[in-house]
Amino acid sequence: MGNQPFSVLGLFDSAQELMDAIRAVKGRVAGRLDAYTPYPIHGMEEALGLRKSPVGGMVFVMGLIGAISALAFELWTEGVDYPVVTAGKPVFSWQPFVPIMFEVTVLFACFTAGLGMLFLLNRLPFFRHPMLGSKSMPLITRDKFALAVEADGQDLDVAAISSALRAAGARAIEVVEQPAPLGPVSPNFLLRVAAGAGIACLAAGYLTYWGVKLFPVTVPMVHMLDQPRLDPQRADGFFKDGFGMRMPVPGTVPRGQVPFTLRGPGDAAGLGNPLPRTESVLGKGRQAFLTYCSVCHGALANGQPSMTAAYGAKPANLMSEKFRDYSDGEIYDVIIRGKNAMPSYSADLSGDECWSVVHYVRALQRALNAKDSDIPMEAPK
Amino acid sequence: MRREGVTRVLAAGAAAGLAGVAACFVSGRERFWANWILWFLFLLTIGLGCLFLVALEHLVAARWSVPLRRVPERLSGLVLLMAPAALLALFSLPVLYPWTAPESLKDPLIAGKAAWLNVPFFALRVVACIGGWILGYRIFVGGSLRQDREKDPRFNVRARRFAPAFMILFGITVTVVAFDWISSLEPAWYSDVLGVYLFAGTFLAGLAATTLVVLHLMARGRLPGVGPDHVYNLGGFLFAFTVFWSYIGFSQYLLMWYANMPEEVFWYKERLEGLWGPLVLALAVLHFFVPFFVLIPRDAKSEPRRLTGVATLMLAAHWLDLYWMIFPVLGKGPLFGWPELSFAVFFISAGLLWLRRDLARGADMPMGDPFLREGLEFRL
Repeated sequence: MGNQPFSVLGLFDSAQELMDAIRAVKGRVAGRLDAYTPYPIHGMEEALGLRKSPVGGMVFVMGLIGAISALAFELWTEGVDYPVVTAGKPVFSWQPFVPIMFEVTVLFACFTAGLGMLFLLNRLPFFRHPMLGSKSMPLITRDKFALAVEADGQDLDVAAISSALRAAGARAIEVVEQPAPLGPVSPNFLLRVAAGAGIACLAAGYLTYWGVKLFPVTVPMVHMLDQPRLDPQRADGFFKDGFGMRMPVPGTVPRGQVPFTLRGPGDAAGLGNPLPRTESVLGKGRQAFLTYCSVCHGALANGQPSMTAAYGAKPANLMSEKFRDYSDGEIYDVIIRGKNAMPSYSADLSGDECWSVVHYVRALQRALNAKDSDIPMEAPK
Repeated sequence: MRREGVTRVLAAGAAAGLAGVAACFVSGRERFWANWILWFLFLLTIGLGCLFLVALEHLVAARWSVPLRRVPERLSGLVLLMAPAALLALFSLPVLYPWTAPESLKDPLIAGKAAWLNVPFFALRVVACIGGWILGYRIFVGGSLRQDREKDPRFNVRARRFAPAFMILFGITVTVVAFDWISSLEPAWYSDVLGVYLFAGTFLAGLAATTLVVLHLMARGRLPGVGPDHVYNLGGFLFAFTVFWSYIGFSQYLLMWYANMPEEVFWYKERLEGLWGPLVLALAVLHFFVPFFVLIPRDAKSEPRRLTGVATLMLAAHWLDLYWMIFPVLGKGPLFGWPELSFAVFFISAGLLWLRRDLARGADMPMGDPFLREGLEFRL
């Protein structure tokens, strides 16, 4: 390559001379115009015809991308992948997404503006701008104004440009040369080192992760398995009684259940069945009866199931006159409290289920003790 | 000749509007006072926004805005015009403000605020606020007009020394306006940030009105030397404060939505249900999305035609904002009928008449300000 000329500089004494020279030279020479001045001069970018910076457009597009990606990420995590109801709000609430969208938009926009300007437009890392080797630099930073015609992809016609600048009133001309290559520590070299280090870090991270996962020789992390805690159904020395599990505090009431306050069949006699006699209630009662009651009382509640003989017990015949005269509340009281050898079923059946069973038992009693009047009086066809 | 014609049209408009306003007073007090408060607050906030802009310029000793300063100075005269309107609005207290009724004290939420919400203290606050604004107006605007004649540079020092005190006064009085005239329409409601929200709208309205009048005067050659660089700053201000308004408005909504406290959310519930829902959407679009995206490009902030459109839109959106806060208390959904139209004609005509009178006061620029030249030489 050798030392190609980078630009031809013409030096002027005042900003006005510089502006006039720009007007005189513009369009007449091959190359890109640039100006170097001790202080910013208004109207310079219009005079030079510099193109508008693309940073604004880049920032706008990246800001939009930031907003959209934040929204998409939130919709996916919160609404699809792992829906968590927070404070009773719908999982697809847009309101809490807005601050995050706003922040991500600002983040994308700022990074685009800063990094885009430095690396895309200013072409960093840029160690030695050719102008830094110019002999006119000390003058330009003091009181001279320089107009530069820079190489724009093709070789500069130094003689023609010099004469054009001189004709435009330049007091001095300088040809600025491309600097000699820097040797091994070039911007390219540094970028490659940085990229290599980044790739090495990534590789080391993945290797460690998969190595630990596939060859668990030592367990570096037990994922919270080893921690002090109380396990159900296990002995534990934490409490004085040696049990890990605790009894509920006296007076604890399960959710959805009304505490039982009756003290005997006398109290219960006046209690009515709160549930309507519908198909679903009777179905629920039948289900509960077959599960818990029929084992002893028999499927027909007449006290004759197959189990009776094996245990020698005599479960009550609920079809008898005595139990048909029981009020709904009295039957309910027996289910909750138990009677003679029968234990309490309050732990197994909810209040509603007890009352459903009462309905079902009533239906059985009526079915097995039908009267003539229960049969519809219609002439056979 | 044409000038007088416009004045006559405005006077006729004001007279016709006044007839409608009077008819509205006869036909229904609640709607009349809701309209009255809406329009008095609309013009008042434009004036207050301009007064704040003047104080801000003195506070930071801004140079670029010196050639434009006479415009917000004149516009802040709207505060004087609205002072009697505010005193008249005191008659709306028994009609619109539930806390004036003795039985409202049974509600513990309202009873707890009785020390603040009672008629004597309310009236005292109204008078004190007006007094504070008139003081600011006399010092900033009166002083500036006097400087035109006397060319006394000591006015700049005096104004700069007074500006910080006025800022505090302004912050308190704007919050009082928001709490008293808007928030106490529903006295059980709590929102600490409403004062800041109203300030955001106020400053935007003041900026929009200033921008409109500056462009109007520039088109008639009455602001020689003021160029696109000055206008760009006004456009940039408008751009920035659309975001500020949305930020504050959304913060208030988000916090109340999250906390879901009955004494807070009912306010939004009333203002989001039925036809108010689309109206809020329109408010968001007109007050934020349209001006924000229109003003993003660099050229848009100094291009007169686009800026005129945006500034007009901002004023309309500010009106809609106040309407959305005030009118739901009538409990009838969005009302747009002849009473609203009469009030619009009356207040807009009266405001423009006042403004025309103001625009003839003094020079179009603060001719006595020693920094006028420096301001005219301002380039971005």
